[in-house]
Amino acid sequence: MKNLKITRGLVALTSAALIATFAVAVPTAARAADLDCSTTAAASKYGAFDTTLCSGKDQFGAKFEIAMPKKFNGTFIVYSHGIRKNTNLPKLPVVAPNGYVVDNSPDIAPSKEVAAALLKQGFALGGSGVQTQGWNLQDQVLATTIVIDQAITKFPKINHVAAWGNSLGGLSTQLLAEQNPGLVDAVAPMCLAESALAEFTMAGDFLWGVKTLFDPTIKATGYSSGMTGYTEMVTDIGKVLTVFGTLSALIKANPTAPAWPASSTVPDSLKAIPSRSAVLLLGLISGISTQSSTFDSSSGPAGPLETSFGLAISPALAVLENGAEAAILAVVGNYDMELQAGGVVFDNSKTNYAARLGEDGDIYAAGLTGKTATAGMLGYLSALNPAAPRVTADQNAVARAKALGEIEGKITVPTITMTATADHITPPGATQYLINKYKASVASKQSKSGLLVNIWNKPADEYTKFDSAGSPIAPATPTNGTQHCNFTESQTMLVAKLLTDAAKTGKAPTNKTVLAAIKKQSGLFVDPNYVAPLFKYRQ
Amino acid sequence: MIRNNRMKRYSIVSAVVAAGAMVLSTLPAQAADPGVTATEIKLGVSTPLTGSAGLAYGKVPGAMKAYFDFINANGGVNGRKIKLVVRDDKYLPTLAATQTTNLVLKDNVFALVGALGTATHSKAYTAASLASKNVPDLFVNTGFSGFGNTTKYPTTFTVLPSYAMEAKIMSKFITENFKGQAVALIAQDDEFGVDGVNGFAAGKLTLANKTLYPTSSITDARAKALLTGLSAIPGKPVLVLFGTTDVTALILKAAESLDLVGKFTWIAGSVGGDANTLLALGVKPATITGVLAASFFPDAKDSSDEYVSQFMKINEKYNKGVSFDNTVLQGMNSAMLTVQALRAAGKNLTRTGLIEAVQNKGSKFASAGLVPLNYSATSHIGYNGYWFGQLNAKGELKPFGGTLAIFTTDSAAGAIEASTYTRPALPKNGIPTNS
Repeated sequence: MKNLKITRGLVALTSAALIATFAVAVPTAARAADLDCSTTAAASKYGAFDTTLCSGKDQFGAKFEIAMPKKFNGTFIVYSHGIRKNTNLPKLPVVAPNGYVVDNSPDIAPSKEVAAALLKQGFALGGSGVQTQGWNLQDQVLATTIVIDQAITKFPKINHVAAWGNSLGGLSTQLLAEQNPGLVDAVAPMCLAESALAEFTMAGDFLWGVKTLFDPTIKATGYSSGMTGYTEMVTDIGKVLTVFGTLSALIKANPTAPAWPASSTVPDSLKAIPSRSAVLLLGLISGISTQSSTFDSSSGPAGPLETSFGLAISPALAVLENGAEAAILAVVGNYDMELQAGGVVFDNSKTNYAARLGEDGDIYAAGLTGKTATAGMLGYLSALNPAAPRVTADQNAVARAKALGEIEGKITVPTITMTATADHITPPGATQYLINKYKASVASKQSKSGLLVNIWNKPADEYTKFDSAGSPIAPATPTNGTQHCNFTESQTMLVAKLLTDAAKTGKAPTNKTVLAAIKKQSGLFVDPNYVAPLFKYRQ
Repeated sequence: MIRNNRMKRYSIVSAVVAAGAMVLSTLPAQAADPGVTATEIKLGVSTPLTGSAGLAYGKVPGAMKAYFDFINANGGVNGRKIKLVVRDDKYLPTLAATQTTNLVLKDNVFALVGALGTATHSKAYTAASLASKNVPDLFVNTGFSGFGNTTKYPTTFTVLPSYAMEAKIMSKFITENFKGQAVALIAQDDEFGVDGVNGFAAGKLTLANKTLYPTSSITDARAKALLTGLSAIPGKPVLVLFGTTDVTALILKAAESLDLVGKFTWIAGSVGGDANTLLALGVKPATITGVLAASFFPDAKDSSDEYVSQFMKINEKYNKGVSFDNTVLQGMNSAMLTVQALRAAGKNLTRTGLIEAVQNKGSKFASAGLVPLNYSATSHIGYNGYWFGQLNAKGELKPFGGTLAIFTTDSAAGAIEASTYTRPALPKNGIPTNS
């Protein structure tokens, strides 16, 4: 492995090119010999007996694992994990209750339970921890190709390779297939992420709104270099958590007309509008879901508030519940992207938030306290208001962020997505973007039709529960169909089955097959004509 | 080794592509539209059955179903029975989106009929991807002129005159009949109210006071505060209530409480002026006496009207125990329009055929409306006019001044004209035979 003449600079090249380089330059035996294989490790880590677990570290320092069951069925499934924080964090409530240490540990499946179940079925599994964390898209693509290379080399009996991943790992899985035709037989991007700019525009718009309306001392973008920048980032997380904690308490105290946090500096005329309406507005202009784990925007407590709660209060509380994570993502994400790209990436210097609101201004007029109040809030957020300074990106940094890669839609192998309609981190617009790009690719004859199957996961029609006093009750387990990549084990296993069948046959599952597979899953549906709203960045 | 495996991988991919092409070549050209069998047509409606809006408009689907049952008992449409699937959206946009999606995806309805509400239905239309699925979306109970955008809502046909039309005609009515009286407006602060405000502006009505309130924000205390403030206007102001029936009821009851009923000349918009519902919501008969209201239908208590009379009979037999009022009339009328649309689409029923049938023949459909229907390839808006009457203690709406004066107009700057429309006769026994 040490003979390999590849430097970090090559990471920017396509993985396909790199694979070709490996084929010429890397002595196979040398690489395979670096694996540390054991049968006891698989039992202790995944509860999988009769399984060999091989651990290794690739030439870029990425830790990876390959698990091979004794009764191997011929299919290897490589997993790409979602985004992780790129920096250590002290103990922070909600974000990192026990602190966070970057360890680059590999995952071979979405969960240990799923790994155990798949190994029991005879599938070999693998995955890389990736040498970098944060928005590590191209590094993850490369690291995953190396895992496939290692697996095939170590275990020549592998006949089929399937790839899947969650969130950013879903995006890297899609890019793995697009950039490396012939490398994998089928892919399953789950809770697919959009491009870096699309994701961080969503989260960034929301964070900028929180800063502008509720606490202008939040830095949000333009973090300093070194330890100073790190401290600014951690301080921002604390401020965001304080804002959301305060808003939550204020709304709980008076759901109909909650006051504004003391840290807000907006004029009193704006503070006459219930603060929940401002929260809802920020969610709508940035694209944060109005359904959260607790709040369905469809239920109200029995009694006089039954309609008005669902109409005016629940959507705002859903955004508040979802928005805390989105705002934290923006803080951590902006910090990460600015470090990677060398400057500010978020840009709202020309954003027309009134246009971003669009018809949601009519649909959610009640929650926004009417069109007059909406106009007042949008006026404050206007680019013409010096009290709401906009952010202008460093265009070189933006170019670098764009170069990190995004979906082209050139699909050559069966591709199965699973996406929640109320995911607040990777909304369904990311999958819709893939669908649109694929359709364009088919239309231009760059892709064959019939290779993309989309499974959607929606929450129950009504799920908010109330206590006898009419107060909403947070569910003990997150509501399926909401939250980020919040799939059940059976849903994930269902995708694994469709994925591996497709890898073996080379055919995407038929509509009939998928319908039969999801029959007992009340939240899942397939509908070729379903159209999810794209990210605001794409609209 | 890796090279060999890569070669294998490439060969697998080639096989996948070839196999995919073979699968494609065996697919049927086009599947039949869902919701239609040789014996049944399945239709769906998402509408408020419960919650505050359910109190006011919850009778609509029951009335539609009663009329369909009546038609089914008389042979159905081209031999097919109509089944109406009803889902409760509580007048909440998100739930309307969910229920409409359920109707299309789970219930596999052929078309939607009689959905109610502007915010609810605009959210539902997009969320359920009705345009891309080409789902006919017939006779939506909203007057929001935005639904007239056939690019955005290509499969939608509204039935109510637009709120802008209503406000324009109301402006003319007030200007001509209440000269010298100040005019105040209380309206919803959403697309419904704003459509109305734009209509009042187009009708050149001068407003002494304009109050826009967020939906669902009016309470007894807020209503009393509003009326107390408006009572300072000298003389006997005209007070226009341009909102839903539950809010009209709250304001009228507040006026009773403050002894301000006699202070104003009350005008209720068509959405919020159903006398029976106001009485059911606790407004005193004496309070509604003299209240002015707009309508494009005959009065629901006017049994001398052949449509009303026939619908009353159907209601009595197929909607037992439900009192007949404007809401029931509206539901039955939409159902009768639906039956004509299905007939006009022919025996080989398709979604595209149904949409084209309404576009091409909808303006000639028989209906209880006293103003014309305006369906065409370029217009998906239904009725286009109003008349004004005064309620009495029985909840009857009698023509203002004793003479029925009907006016028509458009949603923009078009003239307000006296209607020359002659309503088609009721189909024999209330059973359409059109084609």
